[in-house]
Amino acid sequence: MAEPTFFGKEWAGVVRDALTAGPSEQARRDKLPMYWDFFDRIRSAYPASWALGCRNLPAAPGEGPAYLFVQWAGGVVTSCQVVGPDEPLDATYVLGMDYPDWKALHDGYDAQRTVMYRKIMLEDGDLLEFFKGIYFFVECLAVIAAVPARYPAPVQGLRAR
Amino acid sequence: MTQRKSPTAILHEGPRALSSDQVREIEESDLAGVLHVDIDDVIEYVHKDLKSLPGFTTLYRRYLKQRWDVYDLDFTQDKADWDEKMTEDERQSFIAVASGFHHGERQVEIELPVFMIGASEEEKLHIAAQIEDEARHTVFFDRFYREVVGLQGDDIMDILDASFPWVSETFVGPFGLLAYQADEVRRNPYDERARVRYGTNYFLWIEGVLALSVMKVTLSYARWRGFLPAYYTGFTATCRDESRHVQGGMRYLQQAVRKDPSMIGEIHNTLRTILSLSGVNSRQIYYEPLGWTEDEVRMLFFQQLRRKLNDVGIDLTPDLEELLRRVQPVLAGG
Ligand SMILES: [Fe+2]
Ligand SMILES: [Fe+2]
Repeated sequence: MAEPTFFGKEWAGVVRDALTAGPSEQARRDKLPMYWDFFDRIRSAYPASWALGCRNLPAAPGEGPAYLFVQWAGGVVTSCQVVGPDEPLDATYVLGMDYPDWKALHDGYDAQRTVMYRKIMLEDGDLLEFFKGIYFFVECLAVIAAVPARYPAPVQGLRAR
Repeated sequence: MTQRKSPTAILHEGPRALSSDQVREIEESDLAGVLHVDIDDVIEYVHKDLKSLPGFTTLYRRYLKQRWDVYDLDFTQDKADWDEKMTEDERQSFIAVASGFHHGERQVEIELPVFMIGASEEEKLHIAAQIEDEARHTVFFDRFYREVVGLQGDDIMDILDASFPWVSETFVGPFGLLAYQADEVRRNPYDERARVRYGTNYFLWIEGVLALSVMKVTLSYARWRGFLPAYYTGFTATCRDESRHVQGGMRYLQQAVRKDPSMIGEIHNTLRTILSLSGVNSRQIYYEPLGWTEDEVRMLFFQQLRRKLNDVGIDLTPDLEELLRRVQPVLAGG
């Protein structure tokens, strides 16, 4: 079976299933139960949506960022789709990251430093509210990046920063 | 460092007055003399001036007298202690705690410059000095990890990457928040509300509570066992630097609230986020080989938070009191 292309329509569907399944058994074993209890508690009541932007997608050189829109309600993902640069975007938290940093995350870089080193940035939304769920967010970010997918070679010279 | 006080003595001591000799020893010791300064006295010293906070120019002048040369430290004895006297359990516990500092010092160094833009002229002097302090603290840990622990790398980031596996996943709570708050201040450097939220996380929580508490754990271990003299010297000097940072930070928050009493809401909101995360651990850190239990360390956190809030005159709301009560352990036999 061919792997879906990163930020393609099919990929969004696989991401949705992966988020519903949650972190892997291995990831769960590596951290304390109290950490996962907290994760589960946040997820069960998470009322918000994320728009996770990718700048400089190789498939769309020169265009604005595309977003992965993820809506949470009742502990499950109720919507997960790619929103193009020209489509309307309405999410509780809008974040953005360059394509090479998405790819690095996929290749095994950790989600904690991706946040702490400002590779992914909050562009819109209440920062203090967002951080109440930060452990939930970074674990989900790791799940999204771990989805098997084809990451095309970046287009040279288009890195925003 | 000749006396062998119990590591956790501070939990039972409560507030105490420092003699003028003790204050002089803390304020005026040169780097070699810092080896003989008691870490508990330095922690007490942080609070000494909180009720009548010194001005930024005074803090800047203290900085000029107290700065030390991180390259003057000689880690030869530390290396021998690390390799020959410390047990593997002690080394693992020590490194699990120290790695948070290795990364923490670097983070507070790089996130501070944006805060200087919107500061008063006198505060700018103090912040410029603090940036230099934090850079020096970063080098201190870089040297410790290379020369004592034995990590290898071509540059500072290599060594940070090498120690990152020891950093807990929950580190991204306060330090990721600080990174994003710094970005908020970068976008609007004169937004006083954003600055107060940033200052609450940086100066009150990260420096005033987390850093001072956890510093104390490794330092009281070194004092108790009589190990790691260069680490004790450099990190106690670091703690003296932190006392200026916390005093400057508390002065900033106090002035902001006096100018606009509604700023207290920004402090409360920030604490609400921080405290909601602070009860969660992703890893078990075994403090026991260092002479502490996890509950005692957490107890120290909340003791440090309470004292600073009281001294600066920040009251908590009932919901924050409740949150604090829930995350604060009860010290058995305390
Ligand atoms: Fe520092
Ligand atoms: Fe500091």
